[in-house]
Amino acid sequence: MIRGGKNYVSAPPAFSNDAKRLLVCTGNTVTVFSTSTGLQVSALEGHTALVTSVIVEPASSPDKKILCNCWTASLDGTIRKWDFSTPELLQTVDILLPIFSMVIPSYLLSQREENNAKALDNFAYVSVEDKKAAGNRSKALCGQIRKCNLTKSQMSKLILKETKRPESLIASPSGNFVGIKNKRRLHIWKVPSVDSFSVASKNITLHHTKTFTCLAFHPIERIVAAGDGSGRILIWRGFGTQKFLVGGGVVKGRSADDEEEKPGVRDNDDAESCSTQHWHPSEVTFLSFSLDGAYLYSGGKEGVLVVWQLDTGKKKFLPRIGSPLLYFINSPDPSLSSISCAANQILVLKMPSMEILRSISGIKPPLSSKDICGGLAGRPAFDCNSGLVAVQTDNYTIQFYSLLDDRGLYEVQVCERNHQPGDEVTVVVTLVELSLDGSMMGTVEVKLPEEDIGGLICLKFWELDSDDKSFSVSTLIYEPHRDAKISAIAFHPARHMAVSSSYGGDFKTWVSKDEIKMIDQMTPNSGWTCHAVGSYKDKPMTAAAFSADGSVLAVAAETVITLWDPDKNVLVAIVGQSPTPIVRLTFAGNSDYLLYASHGSKPRLAVLRMSKLAECWSYKLQVEDLSYANDLSLFAVLALLPESNERTFGGDGIILLFNATDPIPVTSLSVTKAKGGRIAFIKGDRSSLKLEVLDGNPLQTLLAYINGDHEYVIFDPYGKEVRELSIIRRDDSSLEETGQYGYASLYGKLPEFNLKKSSFSLISSAPPEKPWEAIFPYSTHSLPQLDKLCSEFLESLTEKRVATVE
Amino acid sequence: MAEQPSKLFPVKPKLKSKPRTTNQTSESKYWSSFKTHQIPGLISVRSLSFSPTTGHPFAVVHSARLSIYSSETLSSISTISSFSDAVTGASFRSDGRLIAACEISGRIQVFDRNTRGPLRQLKSHTRPVYYVQFPLLDKLHLISGGDDALVKYWDVAGQTPISELRGHKDYVRCGDSSPINTDIFVTGSYDHTVKLWDMRVADRKSVMEVHHGKPVEDVIFLPSGGLIATAGGNSVKLWDLLGGGKLLSSMESHNMTVKSICVGKIGRDSGEESNQSRILSVGLDGYMKAFDYANMRVTHSQRFPAPLVSVAFSPDCSTRVIGSSNGIVFAGKRKTKEKEKEESSSTLFWRVAPVKQPRREVLKPSYYRYFQRGQGEKPSEGDYVVMRPKKVKLAEHDKLLKKFRHKEALVSVLGGKNPENVVAVMEELVARRKLMTCITNLDVGELELLIMFVQKYCTMPRYASLLFKVAKRVIEMRAEDIRASVSLRSHIRNLKRSVEEELQIQRSLLEIQGIISPLLTSAVRR
Repeated sequence: MIRGGKNYVSAPPAFSNDAKRLLVCTGNTVTVFSTSTGLQVSALEGHTALVTSVIVEPASSPDKKILCNCWTASLDGTIRKWDFSTPELLQTVDILLPIFSMVIPSYLLSQREENNAKALDNFAYVSVEDKKAAGNRSKALCGQIRKCNLTKSQMSKLILKETKRPESLIASPSGNFVGIKNKRRLHIWKVPSVDSFSVASKNITLHHTKTFTCLAFHPIERIVAAGDGSGRILIWRGFGTQKFLVGGGVVKGRSADDEEEKPGVRDNDDAESCSTQHWHPSEVTFLSFSLDGAYLYSGGKEGVLVVWQLDTGKKKFLPRIGSPLLYFINSPDPSLSSISCAANQILVLKMPSMEILRSISGIKPPLSSKDICGGLAGRPAFDCNSGLVAVQTDNYTIQFYSLLDDRGLYEVQVCERNHQPGDEVTVVVTLVELSLDGSMMGTVEVKLPEEDIGGLICLKFWELDSDDKSFSVSTLIYEPHRDAKISAIAFHPARHMAVSSSYGGDFKTWVSKDEIKMIDQMTPNSGWTCHAVGSYKDKPMTAAAFSADGSVLAVAAETVITLWDPDKNVLVAIVGQSPTPIVRLTFAGNSDYLLYASHGSKPRLAVLRMSKLAECWSYKLQVEDLSYANDLSLFAVLALLPESNERTFGGDGIILLFNATDPIPVTSLSVTKAKGGRIAFIKGDRSSLKLEVLDGNPLQTLLAYINGDHEYVIFDPYGKEVRELSIIRRDDSSLEETGQYGYASLYGKLPEFNLKKSSFSLISSAPPEKPWEAIFPYSTHSLPQLDKLCSEFLESLTEKRVATVE
Repeated sequence: MAEQPSKLFPVKPKLKSKPRTTNQTSESKYWSSFKTHQIPGLISVRSLSFSPTTGHPFAVVHSARLSIYSSETLSSISTISSFSDAVTGASFRSDGRLIAACEISGRIQVFDRNTRGPLRQLKSHTRPVYYVQFPLLDKLHLISGGDDALVKYWDVAGQTPISELRGHKDYVRCGDSSPINTDIFVTGSYDHTVKLWDMRVADRKSVMEVHHGKPVEDVIFLPSGGLIATAGGNSVKLWDLLGGGKLLSSMESHNMTVKSICVGKIGRDSGEESNQSRILSVGLDGYMKAFDYANMRVTHSQRFPAPLVSVAFSPDCSTRVIGSSNGIVFAGKRKTKEKEKEESSSTLFWRVAPVKQPRREVLKPSYYRYFQRGQGEKPSEGDYVVMRPKKVKLAEHDKLLKKFRHKEALVSVLGGKNPENVVAVMEELVARRKLMTCITNLDVGELELLIMFVQKYCTMPRYASLLFKVAKRVIEMRAEDIRASVSLRSHIRNLKRSVEEELQIQRSLLEIQGIISPLLTSAVRR
């Protein structure tokens, strides 16, 4: 089993002391990447829940730079110390409360006062969630800031602050201050030089009229910067002059409420001055001072990194990163830093010039605009032969992600437009479909109209360039079905033929010019042209599929399935009758079965036998995805469970494997986050994946499940038990980079795979409903003689009984 | 794996649909590069012929005159009018100094090109003569063919026919002499046959005969000398003489009688097809077609607004003249590059260029060039070239869009000339949800620009879907401003008129569709 598709940007990463490694929190593990190659080196596995912070123990002297110790905190309530070079677990501190953020200011402090701080204990400030404590009171303040003695593995009883939700802690680079943001306030504590449990730290509060989103401390001076939701950056200079300064006789001499002395400072706060800068159009997502304190880096939701020169207020920009920025981390090497973007990407920057050196890219997150386009839009597509998945991204690209290597391969820009993250979404790549051999791709992009003006739907066909393995656009079709949206694209399994069906009531078969025998060899113009247009009673065409040999084209006309000869565009037969619109249609491999799934008030999964043109069996299931294995007689169904059953199954979805002939599922697996998920049979090389080749089962077909958050798992559908196999990753770059792979993020919260064989009380069998129209394969106006009809009528009755599932 | 942040994409207009067959191949581009210039005022141009000498003036035969035109300026140089009857054909001698012309009366006259005086009169044909030619590289003889079904071979100096070739059973209207042998020529006749004659054969009988199937209007030798092309009826046929008169191919893309054919050559500068020969044919249907006889296909077709009766192509590939039955000569002149001209002139004259001794100046810091030395240096083979990053050129509206100055971008692009860009910017504004705000914020002058644009382009099918809605919205939103301004009101009136016109067109199109669709369905049923 392979898990992957983890979120790289759930927490800020950390640089190692020599800046050659980047430690990234990836779900339950911490993955160590090399900054020079951008590839994975090793992984720290052990936490049982999401890792929320990672802190590298700083080197106190240059000769200790090879020291590779780090602390990690996780939602499972433990703080662990690792040696990430080997990787090895050194120490575990269990504090029994889920930790959302942790800082260890004493590390930074001890750097300077090494001589006298040696013997001292290390104290960590943690932000935890205490549900029990919150339950007792009326005001649900479950976030707490506490101290923790790491050396003695003890948690202090003292609660520094309670907040509504656990807030992330920020420590100053000098190690003197720790701060949090809490709605419209900043709370700052001074870290005592000799820390202990009993010492209640001094604390000040700074106020603002808008909700704070981030804060940062100046490395040398007493300056704190904070960003708010409207894009303003507030910089307080000399905060805590009255309270923190020891021996503040001079300060006391000043009058506290002298307004002129403290420009911009609100509510008699303890600061000397406050200035406001405004550039970001929306929320500021991070702030960070440069190591020498001369510059301030800020990033916002609009995806622009801004460098402020503090003294002059001059700005420099790194624009068009493409997605909201989340974290900015300075490395010990002043020429390197990293930005984490919301598009699950970490960029390593070369600093003064802000050049992007490396990009560590995970699988792209699901579209933020999924609900806009509705239906099955925005779902990834699979290239089954090479184990690739094509994922749409917000900035109009398609990322090709290798499931077997857990690595992004390349991206294809579908729509040449500048993406403004944070703006209202108006252009969406709604559909992407790959042909069976992965050499052709069809995409649909929708431009939403402004007050009914200027909407546009584009269908694009792409062809794979066999040399450099990238897709290039072959044909662009504006408004292929007038202004109607496209419901599905399906490729012919063998030939250069595709079909697009639309809600506007027609479908079109497209052929590539390669397919047409070119008489004129002089013009090598291999575009796609419309071959035929078909429609059935002007009903919206909701799904389309080719049979495995390509001789039959099935198009769902809302509630019935029409079968066509794709070459001659002749309606062959009409089968099936679903009470609600059909959304998915698939032929079950080489067998003569056709599957369809319908949504709506009466969701349903049904299997039709093509040789008899009749329904075999059906279930009342909300089907999210269907997939079949070409060489196996199996097909897999991803179904959503009703909410009432979620508890019993330990997930909101279930994967069922069927033999087409048999309504009893072969295997069933319950999964989480099934909404928006997809399944596919992919071909994988067993030996390379270090999966055991089971005796008598030399099959290479694996089942891939990708959930709504684009985390995925690949497993052997025949494996009787789902094994936890950590896979040693194939590596093509360096020898040391053999690591272990672990859990996907958030899987740990719920047991993911409960093998529930033969526990199938939930699924009720529904007899196939057959209204009278569907019995006869004739249209109503040309019914044949009654004696002919009679036999067919009787036949349909007998068929029905046979087909009923017991 | 070093990646850069995504590029800045300028707004791009929608792509135009490509025609299935690209109509502009490099060859048809060549043929249509002959810019047609009309020479009117003549009467039925029966024949055209180019002089083989440089400069290539051409003779135009019309009614009872023969005019010589310069192929440089396409203007008349001189006119010979000492004819008693309508002139039917003319031919230059190989040195270009003599012209032979025949007329309806049956008389053939030989003129000096410069003095225009008749030097010889050859009288022997009793019926009209339509074909006369000097054999190639032969200065002493003439070939002629007349309506008396006789082909004659003349001694020009003695004004006597050397031999009379019998064999044709109908009018002889055309012929050509072989480009490789002065003794061989072909003649075509209305008896559907083309006969090959060899003056070296003693018995004065035709060496070979091919049967075209229609009255032969024209016959030419192709440059190799082994092939001939015949025109008659609506077909042009290609025959292999060396293979015993075998029919190689037949081109039947003309709708009416092909009156004349000639050999056209593709000039040196047009890529792959350079220096290949084509058969140019003109017909009464008004089409000129270029036929690639190596690949047996028509490579170019061009229509002229009159029935065409004669065609000629200059040997230097720079001029093509076509004569029509209503007296207009369509002379096409091709712009030749200066280089080519120079090349041709340098081959003609001896030129002794003064030998220049390049003086090397020592650069001193007092010179401006001193500071620029080495800047024009070209990298040598082994050098590692560090490319300067390419600067992205952005249009004005792209720069404004980049700065989110939406209204300015719209106004700037409206001031430009390209309607595609305007529509592209509007689409981008729609995608940014800013078009409505822009329309509201336009001041009256800018609104006028917008309304003028909408009025001009809203009925074009490519832009209609967007612009109609925009027009509607503009009128709704800015009704008061429009009412207040006189000029805006007039623009709106124009808009209304163009919309009405469009409606009218739509209505008539629907009518036509109504007429055609029953026809189509009945055709399908059959």
